Amino acid sequence: MRRALRDNGLSIGFGLLFLAALVGQAFAGQAAYNDRQLADAGASISLAQYVTSSDFAVDVAENWQSEYLQFFLYVFATVWLVQRGSPESKLVEETGTESDKKQKVGRHATANSPEWARAGGWRTTVFSRSLGAVMGLLFGLSWLAQSIAGRAAYNAERLAQLQDPLTWLGYAGSADFWNRTLQNWQSEFLAMGSIVVISIYLRQRGSPESKPVGEPHDTTETSG
Amino acid sequence: MRGWSSMVCALVVCGAIAGCGTGGRGEAATAAADAFTSALREGDGAAACAALAPETAEDLAASEGESCEEAIGSLDLPDAAVGEIAVWSDRAQMRTADDVLFLAEFGDGWKVVAAGCRPQGERPYECEVGS
Repeated sequence: MRRALRDNGLSIGFGLLFLAALVGQAFAGQAAYNDRQLADAGASISLAQYVTSSDFAVDVAENWQSEYLQFFLYVFATVWLVQRGSPESKLVEETGTESDKKQKVGRHATANSPEWARAGGWRTTVFSRSLGAVMGLLFGLSWLAQSIAGRAAYNAERLAQLQDPLTWLGYAGSADFWNRTLQNWQSEFLAMGSIVVISIYLRQRGSPESKPVGEPHDTTETSG
Repeated sequence: MRGWSSMVCALVVCGAIAGCGTGGRGEAATAAADAFTSALREGDGAAACAALAPETAEDLAASEGESCEEAIGSLDLPDAAVGEIAVWSDRAQMRTADDVLFLAEFGDGWKVVAAGCRPQGERPYECEVGS
C-alpha cells in the first residue's frame, strides 16, 4: 500500500489537489452566482443546483479546454520546435519524428515495448501519435462543452437583461465565448513559454523539470 | 486517462443537458405566462399582479402612483395567447402575437418580470412593465 502510494504520488497528489480545488470552486461559484441573482432579482440556488448548472459547467470547461490545448500543442510543437539550453526541449539536431531505431518501433522494438509499438503498420502509426491525439480529443470535447454550457449560461444572462437568446453558432462567434477562450489560452501559452526559457538559466534541485544544478546553461535535454 | 475521458464526457453531457433541456420547466413557465395573459383578457387585475414578480409589481405601483391592480388595468397591455418560448436556466422569454414577455423562476414558481416588451435592435427590449 505504502509502495503503491509512493509509486503513484504525482497522479494521486494532483488528483487530490484537483478535487479539492473543484470543491472550492463549487462553493465560491455558488456564492458569486447568488450575489448576481440578488442584483438581477432572481432566486438563490443550492450547491447541488449550482454544480449541475450551466454556469458551473462553463467555468470548469473553459479552464479544462485550455489546459488540454496547452499539452496538445506542447506534445506536437516539441517534435519540431526546440530551445537550446532548455531541459523542456530535445537536442537541437533531433528535430522531427526521429528514426525507428531511436523510437524503438517495428523491428527495433524491445521485448518490453508496448504491443502496438512492435506490431508495425497502422497500429504502430496510431500508437506513435496517441498521446497528442488524445490530448487533442480532450481539448476538442472540453471546448465543445464550453460552447454548449456557455451558451446556456450566457442566454440566461441575456434574458435577465431583456435581450434575445443566441443560437449555438451565434454564441460560438460571440465576444463572450472568445473572451472566455482567449483569456485562458494566453495564460497557458505564457506559462509554457516561461518554463521553457526560465529553465535555461534557473535550477530546481531534484526536479525532472530542471537541469541538474551544476549543469551549464547551454546544455539541452537533461533533467535532474 | 480513462478517468479523465469519462469526466470530460460527463461534462459534455452535462453541458448538453444544461444547453438543451427545457422540459417541465418550459411547461411551468408557459403556464405562468398563460395565467398572466388570461388575467389581462379577463380584466382581473389582482390575478395579473399575482403573476408578476414582486419587484415588478412594486415598481409598477410606485411608477403609476396607484395599486398594482389598478395600474395594470389602465396600461392596456397586449393579452394575446403565448406562442414560442425559450427557457434558459431560471429565465424565460415568451412571444405572443403582439409582444414579448420575460419571466424568472422564484421559490414559489415562475413569475413575469417584464411585459409588453418590444425589440430595440441590439439593445434590450423596451417594456411597458418591468424594464
